[in-house]
Amino acid sequence: MHRTRAKDQHRPGGPEVRCRAVVTAEDLVGFRRGEADGVRAVYRDYGGLVFAVALKALGRRDLAEEATQQTFVKAWRAADAFDPARELGPWLATIARRTSIDIHRREARRPTSPLDDVAPAHPDVVELPVGVERSYEVAEVRAAIDTLPPDEREIVRLQHLEELTQTEVAERLGVPIGTVKSRSFRAHKRLAGLLGHLRDEGSV
Amino acid sequence: MTEDDDRVAYLGGEGGSDLDDLTRADLDDLRDLLADESLWAEPPAGLDDGIVAAIAAEAVTRPARPETPAAPPDPAGSPTVVPLAPRRRQGLRLALSAAAAVAALAVAGIVVSRSGDSADGSVALAATDVLPDASGSASLRRTDSGWRIELDATGLPRRDGGRFYEAWLRNADGVLVSIGTFNEGVDVVLWAGVPPSEFSTLTITEEEADGDPASSGVRVLVGPVELE
Repeated sequence: MHRTRAKDQHRPGGPEVRCRAVVTAEDLVGFRRGEADGVRAVYRDYGGLVFAVALKALGRRDLAEEATQQTFVKAWRAADAFDPARELGPWLATIARRTSIDIHRREARRPTSPLDDVAPAHPDVVELPVGVERSYEVAEVRAAIDTLPPDEREIVRLQHLEELTQTEVAERLGVPIGTVKSRSFRAHKRLAGLLGHLRDEGSV
Repeated sequence: MTEDDDRVAYLGGEGGSDLDDLTRADLDDLRDLLADESLWAEPPAGLDDGIVAAIAAEAVTRPARPETPAAPPDPAGSPTVVPLAPRRRQGLRLALSAAAAVAALAVAGIVVSRSGDSADGSVALAATDVLPDASGSASLRRTDSGWRIELDATGLPRRDGGRFYEAWLRNADGVLVSIGTFNEGVDVVLWAGVPPSEFSTLTITEEEADGDPASSGVRVLVGPVELE
């Protein structure tokens, strides 16, 4: 059975990674047909990534919600052109980014900032959303953390987002500190392998 | 500890004393990203229901796709957006699934024009999961004042007390134009000031008089306009 991302894949120079995404060729066919099961399967594996990209680009959950919905509808419209041999995540992330830019521009034209009163060089008119430049990186990193097993993913989240020490993570999760250390190291090794190209390309 | 292990440890928040400044700076950037709230954000519950409903609504009016890849369509147009206000998500959860919508359209039957030979167009309305027993048809007639649309639907419970049905015409870009509101689906006359040749999908939604003029997204009947 073809999968858009192999369950186990190996990147050159990186660790072997067990991916969470399990969108199948059958799911893609269902998605292309607009069938609920197919749409839900693609959303299940990539909804978080798309939402993260949109939220990074737009900075507002309500707009990110709208962008996520539009992204999946646009992806469905364009699904005929999608090559199933490619990874779905980057394609969806690209649509999400473009959609976010469109929404940002629409919001900039709302009556609170009427174009009649705005000079051509006004930032609302000419600038992209603040976070859009990093939205690609967010997509890459989100895709990487989505490959982690849930227990490792949670440890990474607690360490970086909540800024907990490993001791605090162990207390929070009720597991031995040694377990946290080993899982943390394993998770970060995977992330470093998956995201090494970002550092090599100097985009991070 | 190897240099790679040192990098991994530093990425995890420990060590790194042997790393050069450039490597540390790169890893610091990566750590900044890992600490970014948007990276970890999850979409709200029920958003998938809205996406399924939006795609299903559009799929109903779309010609069947070939099984072999066709020329790449332009995904840039703004799609139909099911409003996402929290108070309406419950309704979205009930919205039609694609399979149900397609199946319903298949059994909706042949349009019976109420205007006989004088009709300039017609619509066969298919039920959604919201009111699966509903069905309906409409006839369209061009007049100097605009398009007169006679709607006759069954299976729509009376809505009043601030609740009502609203009819819309939608174009390919997802732009909705309201063409009237009503309480029951029998002998309803609607008026459209936009051409059904462009606004070619007729949709009936459930609404509340809550000050929000936008569509609730709770579709109860959907169908494509067929012009003579």
